Amino acid sequence: MNQRRRETITEIEQNVRRVPGKVHRAYDFSLLFLTAFLVGLGLVMIYSTSSYNATKYYGDATFFLKKQAIFAVFGLVVMILVSLIDYRYIIHPLPVIKIRPVSVLYVLCFALQILVLVVGEDIKGAKRWIEIPGIGSFQPSELTKICVVLLTAYLASRAPKMLNKIRGFVGVLIRVAPLIFLVVIENLSTALVLSVIVFVICFVTSKKKAYYWGVVALGIAAVVVVFVFGEGFRISRIDAWLNVETHPLGYQTLQGLYAISSGGFLGKGLGNSVQKLGFIPESHNDMIFSVICEEMGLIGAVAILLLFLFLLWRLFVIAVNAPDLYGSLIAVGVMAHIAAQVVINVAVVTNTIPSTGIPLPFISYGGSSLVALLFEMGIALGVSNQIEYRE
Amino acid sequence: MHFIRTFQKRNLLLVLFVVILAAIVLMGRVYYLMVPGSEHLAKAAKNLHERERVIKAERGRIYDRNGEVLADNMPVCTISVIHNQITEAEKVIQVLCEKLELNEDYVRKRVEKKSSIETIKTNVDKEVADAIRAYELDGVMVDEDYRRFYPYGSLASKVLGFTGSDNQGILGLEVKYDFWLKGENGKILTMATAHGMEIPDMAESMVTPVTGNSIKTSLDVAIQSYAEQISMKALEAKSAKNVSIIVMNPQNGEIYALVNVPEYDLNEPYELTEIYKAGLKDEELTPEKKTELLNQMWRNSCISDTYEPGSAFKIITATAAFEHDSLELGHNFYCPGYKLVADRRIRCHKTQGHGSQTFTEAIMNSCNPAFMEIGGRTGIENMYETFRALGLFEKTGIDLPGEASSIMHKAENVKEVELATISFGQSFQITPLQLMSATSTVINGGTKITPHFVTEIVNNAGVTIKTVDGIGETGIVSAETSEIMRTVLEQVVSEGTGHNAYVEGFSIGGKTATSEKLPRRSGKYIASFLGFAPAKNPQVIAMVIIDEPQGQYYGGTIAAPVMAELFEVVLPYLGIEEESEIK
Repeated sequence: MNQRRRETITEIEQNVRRVPGKVHRAYDFSLLFLTAFLVGLGLVMIYSTSSYNATKYYGDATFFLKKQAIFAVFGLVVMILVSLIDYRYIIHPLPVIKIRPVSVLYVLCFALQILVLVVGEDIKGAKRWIEIPGIGSFQPSELTKICVVLLTAYLASRAPKMLNKIRGFVGVLIRVAPLIFLVVIENLSTALVLSVIVFVICFVTSKKKAYYWGVVALGIAAVVVVFVFGEGFRISRIDAWLNVETHPLGYQTLQGLYAISSGGFLGKGLGNSVQKLGFIPESHNDMIFSVICEEMGLIGAVAILLLFLFLLWRLFVIAVNAPDLYGSLIAVGVMAHIAAQVVINVAVVTNTIPSTGIPLPFISYGGSSLVALLFEMGIALGVSNQIEYRE
Repeated sequence: MHFIRTFQKRNLLLVLFVVILAAIVLMGRVYYLMVPGSEHLAKAAKNLHERERVIKAERGRIYDRNGEVLADNMPVCTISVIHNQITEAEKVIQVLCEKLELNEDYVRKRVEKKSSIETIKTNVDKEVADAIRAYELDGVMVDEDYRRFYPYGSLASKVLGFTGSDNQGILGLEVKYDFWLKGENGKILTMATAHGMEIPDMAESMVTPVTGNSIKTSLDVAIQSYAEQISMKALEAKSAKNVSIIVMNPQNGEIYALVNVPEYDLNEPYELTEIYKAGLKDEELTPEKKTELLNQMWRNSCISDTYEPGSAFKIITATAAFEHDSLELGHNFYCPGYKLVADRRIRCHKTQGHGSQTFTEAIMNSCNPAFMEIGGRTGIENMYETFRALGLFEKTGIDLPGEASSIMHKAENVKEVELATISFGQSFQITPLQLMSATSTVINGGTKITPHFVTEIVNNAGVTIKTVDGIGETGIVSAETSEIMRTVLEQVVSEGTGHNAYVEGFSIGGKTATSEKLPRRSGKYIASFLGFAPAKNPQVIAMVIIDEPQGQYYGGTIAAPVMAELFEVVLPYLGIEEESEIK
């Protein structure tokens, strides 16, 4: 590990030392193409998984594909545009009003999270969506994810030494907590992802780590407490997890497991899943990984996990080489965000942990989620774009 | 301005390491689910996706000894509709109404019902089904099926039995040989979506049905139908409740005919025949009553009912006596018309007595006191030893279900009176078939036989996979006793009480019997005759049993002529040559 890390660093140092020459920017094209590839793969899988239901309920096999494709194109454009802007503007006070954009975002997210609780559309017993006429519904918690990444990275980079003490960590937490609190009311799993982002950024920044282990222990205890003493439906989720084949709430997970186990080594071939034919409810959403397993087999499933690992590796490289700590911590936040979602999603689909609704980044159906993720990737790419070297 | 420091890079590396570890764990989990642990779940998934359509196997046929088909299959079809595959509902309704001659409301209700599959009509003739198929209507399914068909209708109904709605054997040979006849149903597996729609182009696996094995029986359509004719004639002439005729080969137990009139139509086994319905109005025919009557109609009294064999049993008594040297052909008997046994005076059927007689005369006269004497001399131990050897304490083992067991006294309970009555065939019960089977052993030289119908089981490729013969242990009865018995029984027919069974040109042995049914003095009798031919080397043994005849009821008077009528035709038919004048 150390060896490779050194190599990466020396690689860039060498580039820098190769003076004299023109200043180059280390724009991470691998990450750009990797992201675009995952989005494309997502569209293919969304078409595969949703065409049956789309035909059945909307008379158009490409109903979901079209909607997602529009968001994908929009999101990719946003990503590229964002990546061209210097990320440092985010914490640079705006002219005239002298307020940092990150603060504006913070206030905006706060407002939207409150708004969604008031006017939110109630879908399946949870208010998570705001209906925007003509565009569709929008999930403010996705914007909150961006905000949490940028805000935490800002707070941590502003005074990194503070985080060596628990006081500093609490200070960051106090500022971020209101957003997480507003999310947790309606969406426990997203709140969990947000907490992971905050924790990872702080953890990476801090030199002293002892109390973080305490926080991890506390976090685990909190999760257990929520599950054990929480609302009834969460307790029954535990039952469903343990008795997935018999519990009525285990239906969706069980159908996913059926899909995974019938994939075999090489899969049934793209488009040949049977479980997507009405057995897995909304197989193009959170459960899409199970259909990937069924159609592409073990090889496909492992390949996709490796793609994600590669993507995380690129973010790691950006974080390590970023021009300043803020840029590093943004890359760390994005990395934490994607890693948390991938791990939780795959763990849920394989019934490794109790069921909770987290989409698979870039692949699962969902416009807000995709655009928000691509926006974050844009910022991360923007960080890479600020890395300079000479030829 | 801060830069990322080395310890922070190390921290980040730790985070990355944790993520990689988690990814490896998840890959392991996915691998476990997809490869080693997939069997159970994948099977459950397969069950969930597969729709199984059964293709019924054709049942094996039943043949008579000459290859005539007694039980056959008729191709029929089942017409059903699948609601969500129907595209032209009105046309479907119209075509089905027209072709199946059903009323519109009935069809409409089924076509419009939102079920996965709805049966419209079963047992539809193939031509009609083909006509419907020709319309190629979406959502209309035509499934082929077979229905059991008995070309001879009621012929040998008590033997063949019939099958139920799933072509499973219910009675007779159909149930006894169900294992061999039924074949194996095939199936077509198709894949279906969660909404029950079949998925086109999905690999269908098909298991071809295996036609059942056919069975070849010893029945002879000609003998069976002739026997049925004369039984029916006797039934009508004597207003009897039941007339049975069994024709068998005494050498190997092959049954040529087993008649038990009134028979019933095997193609309509649940319809009461007129005889059983007689005198009952429809409203009196409650379901319970109907079931009771059907059970009576289906009952095979030759094997399911026991009776007191009466005088025909004297054959067995004499055999036991000869075998135990308590009787010789030269012995003389005196009959005063009765015999005093213990404190009882048991009468002969001829009240004035037969006077002095040899053993041959005693059996020709069917003299009860003589046989009481013979039984007394032999003793119950010896008598039972012979009975047991002749199989009277066990079932004959005939290949039909529902055979009754004999009802015998326990040896230690048999006192003088019981021994006397047993000697002339009273106070115990056996089935007619047991008597025939025992008598066969007596006259065939002492070989035990098992009465049976099925001689061969042939698979669908025409290869014999099992053969059955009824020949058992030999030496049950000595050759001398057997010969004496054949000789004296021939005299019973040529000169004695069995004279009415005499057919010119043939040597026939036999014995009459008249049994009074229980309770005594009810005026209900069973008249029977047991005969065989040729007397010297019996090739056929037959029994005529007339249950509850009106008027004349002596076996010699009413059953023996039926035997003559039977032998007149059957003996030449079986190729038994007429002998030159024997006396």
